[in-house]
Amino acid sequence: MKSLVRQILFSLTTFVALAIISFLGIDALPGDGCTALLGRFGSDANIEACRQKNNLNDPVVVRLRDWSSDLLRGDLGYSIKRDEEVARIIAPRIRNTAVMGFVAALMAFPSAIIVGLLLGRYPHTFISKVVNQFSVIAMTLPEFVTATVLWLVLSLWIPVFPGVSVMPSNASLLQLLPNVWLPALTLAVVIFAHSMRTMRTSVANVLNMPFVQSARLRGTSERAMIMRHIVPAALPPVVNVVALDGAWLLTGTFVTEAVFNYQGVGRLAVDAISDRDTALILPIILFGLAVYLASSLLADSLVRVLDPRLRSSDR
Amino acid sequence: MKALQSLNFLKDRVLILVVLGFHSLVALLAPYLQLPATDSQDSAALLQGPSRSHWLGTDFLGRDVFSRLLHGGRPSLVIAFSATAIACAIGVFIGSLAALAGGWIDDALSRVVDLMLALPTLILLLLIASFFGQDPLVLSVALGLMYAAPIARVARSATQTLLARDFVRVARLQGGSRISILFGEVLPNVWRLMFTEVAMQFTWILLAFSSLSFLGLGASPPTPEWGLMVAESRSYMTLNPLLVLAPIVMLASLVLAIQALVDHE
Repeated sequence: MKSLVRQILFSLTTFVALAIISFLGIDALPGDGCTALLGRFGSDANIEACRQKNNLNDPVVVRLRDWSSDLLRGDLGYSIKRDEEVARIIAPRIRNTAVMGFVAALMAFPSAIIVGLLLGRYPHTFISKVVNQFSVIAMTLPEFVTATVLWLVLSLWIPVFPGVSVMPSNASLLQLLPNVWLPALTLAVVIFAHSMRTMRTSVANVLNMPFVQSARLRGTSERAMIMRHIVPAALPPVVNVVALDGAWLLTGTFVTEAVFNYQGVGRLAVDAISDRDTALILPIILFGLAVYLASSLLADSLVRVLDPRLRSSDR
Repeated sequence: MKALQSLNFLKDRVLILVVLGFHSLVALLAPYLQLPATDSQDSAALLQGPSRSHWLGTDFLGRDVFSRLLHGGRPSLVIAFSATAIACAIGVFIGSLAALAGGWIDDALSRVVDLMLALPTLILLLLIASFFGQDPLVLSVALGLMYAAPIARVARSATQTLLARDFVRVARLQGGSRISILFGEVLPNVWRLMFTEVAMQFTWILLAFSSLSFLGLGASPPTPEWGLMVAESRSYMTLNPLLVLAPIVMLASLVLAIQALVDHE
């Protein structure tokens, strides 16, 4: 319990430190919301008026204070460029990315754990070797390659899924669904190999442990071996990988969303960056940080639940 | 048994070296091969299939795909090499300093490295490329800074391994200062322990730059670069799939060969 509290405190301080650094870093970039809105052609007087109106002329310390007190009250700020509350822009995008990530997680994680278990249990079969080769390739290739190849094969050559999605960012779930499959499959291919390989290695390690051999000598059935002894002992390392990849599904989908024109947070981030809409970029970065820190916290707590040795050493 | 062996192509040393040799030769010699210019457009021959004058056909501006393909690795390789050099210089220095100094310096440096590892790499790269321009120098420095953190981490543990070795202990007992041990004993030897990590980071940097180009913020047109070529040709995939498949095969073979090579060590 004590170490969990310490870890939560550490995550919080990390978040605060990185939030302040991000604010200052983005503030230091040339340009602000007003130049983003009025562009290169806005007259100095217009830009100045816009800055006055939005309090952009305040000293940086004052703005940092205002921004953080707004943030604590749940106000993410206001995009001058898009003339809208940031929360209203981001919320539907986060939902879209979450739906896609959820589908990808369903595609990748259960199958990865089963395949990893089989490969770890039967490492020397022909199929194990083939799957291993392809998992290395899938893990290495960048998303834009995986996405483009899947699109070419599953949308153009064998038209199973629609390729580029045409949808508003606040589409209903039913409108969203047909567009989810290909990007979700891309993400699933990228992350499948991580958890599968971790599971495989972990199972192989567990199989060499004395308690497994003693269970085997006691005449435990193969099924009971796998379900009662191997899987529970092999899971903890996989949980960490699943948590990291789960966080990536919410925060690392820029390229995949760009390929399929999927209206998620990643797409929004790329758009906001090319528009130089700094008011929008900052909350997206903070969202990414929060997801990353929360997922590693979650993984550590889960591992602690799954691994009794860690529970006892905790006291 | 033979079929099984040949399927294991990622463990085939000869194949790996042939692929790497091919890529090095192409990257070095592409400008001297008497190929059509990478930016010469032929409006009478847009999006053509393979022919004798254009071995892999032409793209949407009538440019020779084969020539662009052979030139297309050079921008990424130049950036990946310089960024890796920067990342190593910073990462190894920080990592070995942390391990050597120990105490609060180690704690502080390790915290900084943890913070850097938590940063979203791609979004920061996009920001930098968007606000400071797609200058190769800027991008190399940015990539180098960002990928210094994982290298620092490995350098720290590699240095700790070295510090336990006899020759470093002898240097310490002889009264060498920490700085002289850093430059005299640690830095010359830490490389051998880090070769694999550095090569892996090199491929990640290469892929990050290609992804950046794909998103339109890495190499700028008309530079031939594989990621950019895929992005530019995606709309014409149905007309000539080679336009996207050829750069994909080049990028994939290069990265897989490097990773397969170091995985062996």
